[in-house]
Amino acid sequence: MEAIKLLHTLPLVFIKREPKSQIWLQDVVFRKGETILIEANSGTGKSSLCSYIIGYRKDYLGTICFDDRDVRSFSVSDWTALRQHSLSLLFQELRLFPELTAMENVEIKNGLTKHKSLKEIETWFERLGIADKKKVKVGRMSFGQQQRVAMIRALAQPFDFLLVDEPVSHLDEENSTIMGDIMMEEVRRQGAGVIVTSIGKHMNLPYDKTFSL
Amino acid sequence: MSLVWKLLRQHISVPQLAGFFFANLFGMFILLLGLQFYNDVKPLFGQEDGFLKPEYLIVSKRISGMSVLSAGEKFGFSDSEIQDITSQPFCKSVGAFTASQYRVMCSMGVDGVAHFGTDMFFESVPDRFVDTDLAHWKFNPEEGIIPIVLPRTYLAIYNFGFAQSQSLPKISEGIVGMIDMLVLLRGNGQEMRLKGKVIGFSTRLNTILVPESFILWSNAKFAPESELTPNRLIVEVKNPADDAIVNYINKHNLELEDDKLDAGKAAYFLRVVTILVMCIGLLISLLSFYILMLSIYLLVEKNTEKMRTLLLIGYSPVKVSLPYQLLTIGMNALVLALSLVILYLVRSGYMDRLWLMFPQMQDGSLLPAIQLGLLLFVIVSLANAFAIRRRINIIWNNK
Repeated sequence: MEAIKLLHTLPLVFIKREPKSQIWLQDVVFRKGETILIEANSGTGKSSLCSYIIGYRKDYLGTICFDDRDVRSFSVSDWTALRQHSLSLLFQELRLFPELTAMENVEIKNGLTKHKSLKEIETWFERLGIADKKKVKVGRMSFGQQQRVAMIRALAQPFDFLLVDEPVSHLDEENSTIMGDIMMEEVRRQGAGVIVTSIGKHMNLPYDKTFSL
Repeated sequence: MSLVWKLLRQHISVPQLAGFFFANLFGMFILLLGLQFYNDVKPLFGQEDGFLKPEYLIVSKRISGMSVLSAGEKFGFSDSEIQDITSQPFCKSVGAFTASQYRVMCSMGVDGVAHFGTDMFFESVPDRFVDTDLAHWKFNPEEGIIPIVLPRTYLAIYNFGFAQSQSLPKISEGIVGMIDMLVLLRGNGQEMRLKGKVIGFSTRLNTILVPESFILWSNAKFAPESELTPNRLIVEVKNPADDAIVNYINKHNLELEDDKLDAGKAAYFLRVVTILVMCIGLLISLLSFYILMLSIYLLVEKNTEKMRTLLLIGYSPVKVSLPYQLLTIGMNALVLALSLVILYLVRSGYMDRLWLMFPQMQDGSLLPAIQLGLLLFVIVSLANAFAIRRRINIIWNNK
């Protein structure tokens, strides 16, 4: 997948508002290899945008295309293949499994494609300062720690685009920088595009484009 | 897969699944037992008599109190009476039973040692009424072996009346053929020893049947002067259910020897009872299926968010459905296997008892129950798998 195109897209709930946005109701193209920041205020549809792109929700007007294909035409197996090989999302609400350990949460994703070796994953745990939490159930970890586990999980697959929805909201500056470094290493290694959303606090990265939602 | 299972087994209710398991086991067992028992017992009722075709009726004169007192009255059929029956529209052909007119002594034994003996008699019907291999149904005076068909009741009388009280072994139909029957014929100042060979049993013919050629030969030899008036007739009819037959029988004070009606009634009740039992089994099975589906739905409901996340991180609906599908299919298979094992044990028990009562019974097999069990297993498992997949699709579609 080379590009994500938003053509005159608008969440159905915004129909009456006519928002002033650089994304909604515009024609926007995110290209593979670009680093993009989407700054948003609460309630401007940031999580909705992520849901539309990942195929979880379809309550929007306009068109979203991957390359030149309208995502509304995608079948179940198309989406499954995309989520395994082309598109990764770090959910704002993380969506980790509290019953599983931190390591198991990563393995359950990595097992689909065997993209990363156990050693690479362990190195990420060490660099993010949660090596001692690998065998701890995620339900017993702080939100900040969970955010780091969720990031490792999001990186443990091949992708053309990585969406990270408020990835550092509960991290200090140091950990935020480490997380950004790890993320960008993997994004560059894969030649992928990355779309970062943020409300206020955001990762310090060399953004190619910044949009206000 | 193991991680997905670890995740999705959360909230599995063991008591609910155990409830399903035992209810389903019970229902499946009753269902299979009903079918198996019906299949095992059915041949005893619907048995075609090997030696008489079904459209043959046996007619005799009714013996009333008055006719016993008037000793001079004949029980036999005169030629004109036989002619009258032959001319009836329901009748295809008529054959007379011919009885032996001399004295017959018979003793049975093994290896030439006689064990018990009795006076008896022989009867024959024309060969065309006997539906057996005519190669064995011949008498040759030079060979001196008489083929005999016995009433099946004789075997039952021996097995249950005699053998049991005398601690003698029970015998089957096959073994009877190997027993020596010594027959002594006496009359007209002559005596002759012959061998008898039981070649079969009849449920409907209540007589000791021998080939007509033997009766004609022996009557001529041992009772040349006696008059032959048949006591019973065998009538080939076009349709045994014809009302005209019953009317004619009643009008001429005759009697039908036939147990077909009784066997038919018993078979009917057997069928009704079997269907009733199987319906109960089916009902229990359906209820248990319902319990399982409710339990699985509840499980899916409780684990909806986990499943949704799995789908969002790249798991296909097939993979997410699989653990619960395997769970239900595994339980269904276990229920099937266990109910077949219990059925096998129970069947061995009742077959032993049935063999005591009906030594001629065929062994049969568990095949009908296995077939029905497999069919149900496939249908129920497919229904389970389909219902689970449907729930996952609902989660996929975010409804």
